[in-house]
Amino acid sequence: MIVFITGGAKNGKSSFAQRLAVELSRGGNRYYIATMIPVDEEDRERIRRHIADRAGLGFQTVECGRDILTCLSQVDKSGSFLLDSATALLMNELFLPPDYSLNPEAGEKCARELVEFAQSVENIVVVSDYIYSDAAIYDEVTETYRRALAFIDQQLAAVSDVVLELSAGNIIVHKGDFQP
Amino acid sequence: MKLIIGGAYQGKREFAKAAFQLKEADIFTCTGEHIDFSAPCIDKIEAFTLACVRSGKDPLAIFQEHQPLWADSVLICQDIFCGVVPMEADLRQWRQVTGQLCQYLTKNAQQVSRIFCGLEQRLK
Repeated sequence: MIVFITGGAKNGKSSFAQRLAVELSRGGNRYYIATMIPVDEEDRERIRRHIADRAGLGFQTVECGRDILTCLSQVDKSGSFLLDSATALLMNELFLPPDYSLNPEAGEKCARELVEFAQSVENIVVVSDYIYSDAAIYDEVTETYRRALAFIDQQLAAVSDVVLELSAGNIIVHKGDFQP
Repeated sequence: MKLIIGGAYQGKREFAKAAFQLKEADIFTCTGEHIDFSAPCIDKIEAFTLACVRSGKDPLAIFQEHQPLWADSVLICQDIFCGVVPMEADLRQWRQVTGQLCQYLTKNAQQVSRIFCGLEQRLK
């Protein structure tokens, strides 16, 4: 089963996604695909908070910030996966070392690889971020990022069994049969 | 009239084409203060409202004036209402008048659809 979860920031997406991935696993292997590549102390603090948050839930952490399909060889595909988040993965793919210039192919690459990843495993919960409804006029780099993430979201939503939006901890079902 | 709203890049235009059998040629895309109200579908109404704000025109009054022309149309507007209050006065005004216009259009719509990640959420 593929579950896609999005919504505004700080609405409880990550904690809900963790509980859901545990539920879907029914005692099988649980993997947390950690996509964030930390660049500063704030990132490292956030990662520590997330690790503490999922302590005791039985997740094996697989660090994979780019080329998401490469980590499939280290896991049991019949397990349950939590990928948090498409947003972080896109950021890493969009700005590639060594010069971190903008990679215009990143959106399509991420979408293609995430769809393949999701369809290769038994259960997966993918978390993204809804960043499309403000009255701001952004620079072209930011618009490229928003356009690419929206493309990934739509491609994932199309192949997902269940699409959920979280709003203040409440669940809005956009696709599929889901009983909270 | 059918109103389609949703955030940026959510697939509003593609949804309109599929749901109402529209071709690209049926769609007028706003880029400024001019609107061809005779088009079966008007997209990017938020670009029209922004141009109106910058030239001191009232977009709601313009829509009210042309009501018979869009009474059977498909109208598409971006949801720009969920962010922080913009620092710039014209963007605050833009958010305000676009919100008023969307509420007016909702009242006059037979159908309102919100597009989210390419999926329709029927609001009316």
